[in-house]
Amino acid sequence: MNKPTGSEIRLASPLKAWASRFALLLLVGAAFGLMLIGRTNSFLVEETRTAVTDMVTPILDAVSQPVDTLSGVIDQAEALANLQSENVALKEQNARLLHWQAVARRLEAENAALRNLSQMVPDPRMRFITARVVGDPGGAFVRSVLINAGERNGIAKGQAATTGAGLAGRVAEVGLRSSRVLLVTDINSRIPVVVGQGRDRAVLAGDNTDAPQLLYLGPTAKLRVGDQVTTSGHGGVFPPGLPIGVVSAVGDIGVRVEPFVDWAHMEYLRIVDFEMSGILDFQSVEAARAASAEAETAAAAAEGAGQ
Amino acid sequence: MRQGVLHRLDGVARTISPFFVTLLLVLFALLPLHVADFAPIMPAVALIGVFFWSVHRPDLMPIWAVFLIGFVQDLLAGGVWGPGILGLLLAHALVVWQHRFFLSASFILIWCVFMLVAAAAMAVTWLFTCLAMLTYIDPDPVFFQFLMTVAFYPVLAWLFLRGQRLFQR
Repeated sequence: MNKPTGSEIRLASPLKAWASRFALLLLVGAAFGLMLIGRTNSFLVEETRTAVTDMVTPILDAVSQPVDTLSGVIDQAEALANLQSENVALKEQNARLLHWQAVARRLEAENAALRNLSQMVPDPRMRFITARVVGDPGGAFVRSVLINAGERNGIAKGQAATTGAGLAGRVAEVGLRSSRVLLVTDINSRIPVVVGQGRDRAVLAGDNTDAPQLLYLGPTAKLRVGDQVTTSGHGGVFPPGLPIGVVSAVGDIGVRVEPFVDWAHMEYLRIVDFEMSGILDFQSVEAARAASAEAETAAAAAEGAGQ
Repeated sequence: MRQGVLHRLDGVARTISPFFVTLLLVLFALLPLHVADFAPIMPAVALIGVFFWSVHRPDLMPIWAVFLIGFVQDLLAGGVWGPGILGLLLAHALVVWQHRFFLSASFILIWCVFMLVAAAAMAVTWLFTCLAMLTYIDPDPVFFQFLMTVAFYPVLAWLFLRGQRLFQR
């Protein structure tokens, strides 16, 4: 190989510097381009993202199992240590729950009788799909998790994701075998809810903190700390009455809600398939619009022919 | 001949290993650890990887690799595209710009510089995330994430160094 001469080196290094500077500018430009695409073309963003998530989920699924087992072992050790006090607490809780069971049975019977009397339209049936949480991106900007179930398992966009304790979030993106659940604490999450005894309507809005806010409360709403927050079912996306949390603060910082879900121990999510097409069902809306437009043109044509 | 092919494969593996190691870290950072309040302050492992290799083996962490790592990270995080890439590109550019400085720097000094670079990169990421989402995002978690990242740097750097020595043997 010929060794480069001095002049070649003198020529090559500025060229190299220019090339690397050019590459930096190009890639920074590309990053801005991606940012713009992300803002304007949400369909492409979603497609790409679900494709990558689908690819990664099997790996995460395999690797997260030992991690889950390990944290399960730690939890068990903790539980063993607190066995006695927990037992006492559980006995107390059991007595209280038995009382509530009696109350619920009575109310159920009463409810059925009243529904019968008023011939109310029954709520659509619910179906549950249980999926494991395999990914948690973390970080300061998003609150979402990846689950190992997707289109193949009957998951669809907009379905509610719950744990035993309450609502955790809604399905935001669906891949073939994985989905992303946007948690109620995410800055993009908005959920119609009803609050307290007065059943005041409001919107639960996340802001990336652990305690989402209640927005658009009516001026007459009187809230107290400890009031229950449940889904209202408005918009037909979520079934009504799913518990979300309790009001934890009322004051200058707005009304804050503490969700029931224990974020640190969220290993499985139950996805609620509420058999009702809500406002998030864009496809059927589009189809209906197209059909009505067609009918209109047909009617206009018929009218024209009649004249 | 066979030896030659194997040798070349080995060379290729060594060349792309920093890139893949960083990608794997980004992937493993996704694992749900079920530790209370840890997820929001998860250390930015991609930033550590990119900084470490840009300092010690800039030839093995070219700028396109930095871009790809940033893109994969932004894709998996589920947020906006771009801000994460910009942060990593800034960190890489800062290191490359001052690469002579690192030739004789001690570990503690490099760690201190990492603190500055990480602060700049994460501030840029935060700023552009706010701009792209058109909202103000509370910077407190970003600050705690920054502290975690700085605290985590020596651990990963030690692992990287061990790995590199293993390869060189």
